[in-house]
Amino acid sequence: MVQDDKALLLRLGQHHVEFVIIGGVCGIMHGVSLVTTDLDVCCRFAPDNLYRIQAAVKDLHPYHRLAANKLPLELTDELCARLKNLYLQTDLGKLDCLGEVAGIGDFEAALRDSVVFGLSYGDFRVLNLDAAIAAKEAVGRPRDLEAATQLRAIKERTQA
Amino acid sequence: MVEEALLAQINGPYVCPAQAGPAWRAACEYGFDMSLVEDALRKTPEERLEEHQRALNLVLEILAARTLHFPHGSR
Repeated sequence: MVQDDKALLLRLGQHHVEFVIIGGVCGIMHGVSLVTTDLDVCCRFAPDNLYRIQAAVKDLHPYHRLAANKLPLELTDELCARLKNLYLQTDLGKLDCLGEVAGIGDFEAALRDSVVFGLSYGDFRVLNLDAAIAAKEAVGRPRDLEAATQLRAIKERTQA
Repeated sequence: MVEEALLAQINGPYVCPAQAGPAWRAACEYGFDMSLVEDALRKTPEERLEEHQRALNLVLEILAARTLHFPHGSR
């Protein structure tokens, strides 16, 4: 099993995919101490951007990990128009591309509620602390609420 | 001779700082070792990602070993 978030982020960046980092990795970047096993991003679900995602992972044997029979990622214009999410398994790990973020809204809303984190291998948009907290609270699973508890503490400590 | 107070710190769990706000205190009371979050906040986002990747690699190794030893999910 492999989960190489840096390599996946690099590929998305190199292919100019429009995305905002959400989920567990967003929490990690803000300082959460919990481990997460996939990379969640909110993307613009327009055909050009979806084809960029496909290009970014095309040599990584991508498939729809929640579909039967490991259906390979082979986008068409018709499929692009009907997609809401892409739950992908690749040779570099799981990459979940969501059209909406619970508690926040669509890509435009996520973009509005994001900040840029400059890393040595690129600048990446990440949900800001308030949005990350709202998203975790909206999902509401125990592990999300735990992350929200840490995020609220981090907000208090860093924005005091 | 080690003083009792120092020994208590060495042996004891993370102590929520007296000046901690309600959110930090809530996280402490929930049971989180907030020293890990304090460590993370001293790092850059990139360093946090790198540390997470190291932890994740270990988790994945353990999961892979479990699958190897218990292929039918008996544990």
